[in-house]
Amino acid sequence: MVTSGVTVAHHSFAMFDKENPIDLEGIVQEFKYVSPHSFILLRVKDQDGATTVWNLEGGAPSILARDGWTSTALKPGDQIILRIAPLQSGAPGGSWSVDKIKFKDGQPIVVGH
Amino acid sequence: MRNRGSIAGIMLTAMLALANTTTMAFDETKYPDWIGQWRRPAGVGNQWDTSKPVSKQEAPLTAEYQAIFEANLADQAAGGQGTDPTYTCLPDGMPRAMNVIFPMEIIIQPNVTHIIIEYLSMLRRIYTDGRQSPNDKDPSFMGYSIGKWIDEDGDGRYDMLEVETRDLKGPRAFDASGIPLHADNQTVVKERIYLDKANSNILHDEVTTIDHALTRPWTVIKSYHRVPNPIWIEAICAEGNQHVRIGSEIYMLSAEGLLMPAKKNQPLPDLKYFKQPRQ
Repeated sequence: MVTSGVTVAHHSFAMFDKENPIDLEGIVQEFKYVSPHSFILLRVKDQDGATTVWNLEGGAPSILARDGWTSTALKPGDQIILRIAPLQSGAPGGSWSVDKIKFKDGQPIVVGH
Repeated sequence: MRNRGSIAGIMLTAMLALANTTTMAFDETKYPDWIGQWRRPAGVGNQWDTSKPVSKQEAPLTAEYQAIFEANLADQAAGGQGTDPTYTCLPDGMPRAMNVIFPMEIIIQPNVTHIIIEYLSMLRRIYTDGRQSPNDKDPSFMGYSIGKWIDEDGDGRYDMLEVETRDLKGPRAFDASGIPLHADNQTVVKERIYLDKANSNILHDEVTTIDHALTRPWTVIKSYHRVPNPIWIEAICAEGNQHVRIGSEIYMLSAEGLLMPAKKNQPLPDLKYFKQPRQ
């Protein structure tokens, strides 16, 4: 499986701060396998115990499918860890790429990554 | 009634004969084999000149449009989209569509060649029936394309399609870095599309863009690789776009569908048409 490891976007991802990535661990609420880009809605528990749902933008299905992904690669309830580029504003949004995401137990989401 | 049936029968026979004649007129052995799926090469992203990195395109912009481009870069550095309009699901238009960010298919017919690009299902119609470009055509993002088949080596089979595209509308940019085209939309795009002589699974498109934002015609050569056993994906941009422009600001939607700021210290949208409770 050949992959670029980066999110090739049709538009600028400049609103995401690639210079200051952060690690998130959470439970998938929904995986939106849609154009123009896929989104993971991820329930993340804060340090004070409150839960925030992050909106995380990833590759387009046109890219992901050719890397072996499908709409069921992630399911609600899956526990994942990933490194994201957060929104510059600090709001709970960010971008992710296929080479920086895995299940909590360390298994790849899609074999080959 | 019998007469009406006879006339219908004659008409049907005539139509079938005409259709058969049209089919017979298309001799596919005269055209190159461009069948299949074509993808940009591995490692090439959404940049215009694929021989240079996206940050070093060195577009021959006029001073006015260089200043616009640099302001665009500053806006992108602050988290905006600059002069790249496609985040709202506007199509790439020409010539950017030939970045082929998602794969394309080329369908050759005797009087028209279709180029179908997976991203946004963008469709180009290149007329090869000898017509002239109309003077009163409403502009469009993909423009009006006139093509001419060329048999370069004289072997009786066409090997190059020359295309000229006009009647474009904007806003458009060359690529995601926001290299702008002129706001007057007088762009003329000239292309020479041909298979690589050494490898028939590589297609080249020599693209020359003539535009008032440029100091000279800008020529680049783009290449695409034929994909065996291709898959095709529907790419409808409006389905899941989470970026919203309100006034001059671009926001992002949250997981709950609410507005989030995308940039640091981004102002609230103007809510003057909403009735606000008095303070």
